[in-house]
Amino acid sequence: MIEFQNVSKIYSNGTRALKDVSLKVDKGEFVFIVGSSGAGKSTFLKLIMCEERPNSGEIIVNGRELSTLKKREVPFIRRTMGIVFQDFRLIDTMTVFENVAFAMHIVGASNKEIRKRVPYILGLVNLQNKAKCHPAELSGGEQQRVGLARALVNNPKLIIADEPTGNIDPALSFEIVDLLNEINRRGTTILMVTHEHTLVKHFHKRVVEIHDGTIVADTASQKEEERHED
Amino acid sequence: MKIRSLGYLFKEGVKNIWSNRTMSIASVGVLVSCLLLTGAAVVFSYNINSAMKTIEGNNSVRIYMTQDLPTLSAIKVGEEIKKLDNIKTCEFVPKDEAIQQYMKILGDKNGTMLQGMTGKDNPLPDAFKVSFKDLSKYKDTAAQIKKIPGVATINDYSDVAAKLTRLDKVVTMAGFWIILLLSLVSLFIISNTIRVTMFSRRVEISIMKSVGATNGFIRVPFIVEGIIIGMLSGALSSFLLFLIYDKMVGSITSITLFSPVDISPMAGKILLAFMLAGTLFGAVGGVISISKYLKKEGGEIVGW
Repeated sequence: MIEFQNVSKIYSNGTRALKDVSLKVDKGEFVFIVGSSGAGKSTFLKLIMCEERPNSGEIIVNGRELSTLKKREVPFIRRTMGIVFQDFRLIDTMTVFENVAFAMHIVGASNKEIRKRVPYILGLVNLQNKAKCHPAELSGGEQQRVGLARALVNNPKLIIADEPTGNIDPALSFEIVDLLNEINRRGTTILMVTHEHTLVKHFHKRVVEIHDGTIVADTASQKEEERHED
Repeated sequence: MKIRSLGYLFKEGVKNIWSNRTMSIASVGVLVSCLLLTGAAVVFSYNINSAMKTIEGNNSVRIYMTQDLPTLSAIKVGEEIKKLDNIKTCEFVPKDEAIQQYMKILGDKNGTMLQGMTGKDNPLPDAFKVSFKDLSKYKDTAAQIKKIPGVATINDYSDVAAKLTRLDKVVTMAGFWIILLLSLVSLFIISNTIRVTMFSRRVEISIMKSVGATNGFIRVPFIVEGIIIGMLSGALSSFLLFLIYDKMVGSITSITLFSPVDISPMAGKILLAFMLAGTLFGAVGGVISISKYLKKEGGEIVGW
């Protein structure tokens, strides 16, 4: 699904955000990315979304080598991923339904498809009764579920969640990750950046820790090592 | 891009104008003032031009025959003058008439003062009152006239001719530069105004990008918005220009002899030009303002 081979990224201001990072995420995996701010997590996500290009190394997403990607192909590779933001990024002037439908309009879906698909997705995140509400009328947790619905609506193979629980009540955080877990069980690969250790501990998923531009811990490789030791 | 997307994007553009109505009104205001200023510059230079045409037309030059040339020969010289290219009118002024005019000017009602100078004793030569089609060619034409036998002198007008030609050129040039400058200023202001709305719509753009919208897709609503604002401004400013010009013409003609040009026959043309200019400015402004946001490969999805 995602493969990083000796990837380095140095910004034009000299910051070395990632140093020789290699990582493989298989299809259907659920991965927590942890690390302090400035460790290189954002750069990691930006590279996957083709928002930045690496200085060296190879990145393969969905079987596509990103360095050979032409600029005009970038939007189309992005359609295979759904992005969930920390600050929700809902459009205040649109209803919940419209916010989700917006993502479908962008990829050129017909009104018929939209009328069919949006209620289904809203049902999935338990918001079928709030379709006509505006974001301001919803709680933080509900707003993030709208964000999740929007990321899901175009049926992406990969969900990238950038601290999705960072702006909501800790009690409601579990609800969001539960939903992501449910989506993961249906076959979608999930990549979630987070600060919250309680969540990481509770959900027993693969954890990749980035520190100072390098991967300092990866539970997947640890398990492998344990297996070798046995 | 699919047709149904275009329909959606067009609707979005229209909706955006309404949801950002404060900025839309500001944009229309700015564009209207720029178009009005440009329009005022055009109308002003048009008026100066027409005024100069009038002055040029009134400028007649007197050509004097040699003192003892018989009147009949003088008329023949007149025929020669009329044959020249640059002559607009050529009017014969017999010396008898000229002396009468002098008498009038001197207030000599009974003709006592200049009595001895009428008829055969008239010291004035026959003359022609001539006006030129193009005053800038005065020198050449004057030289041609001087070559005709029987012509004594032409009163020298070359100075005035040169001055008028120069003024004409200055007005045309100044008009051109004023329009160019105002166009640039309008474009700058429009693209900035749209950029402000863009700033408030960064969320929308980052979402669009994150879901995989192409740059073309993101651009369309902004261009639609720019075009609609531009057309609206074009219509409004041409209406205002007529209204203001009409009022000004009324007050100017009542205090001065100068009669401004009537622009009502050009109403259609002005409306069309304003609408076109507005549309063009709106569209270009839209493109300029958004290009900054689309330059980056991804365009600030994660961190903005």
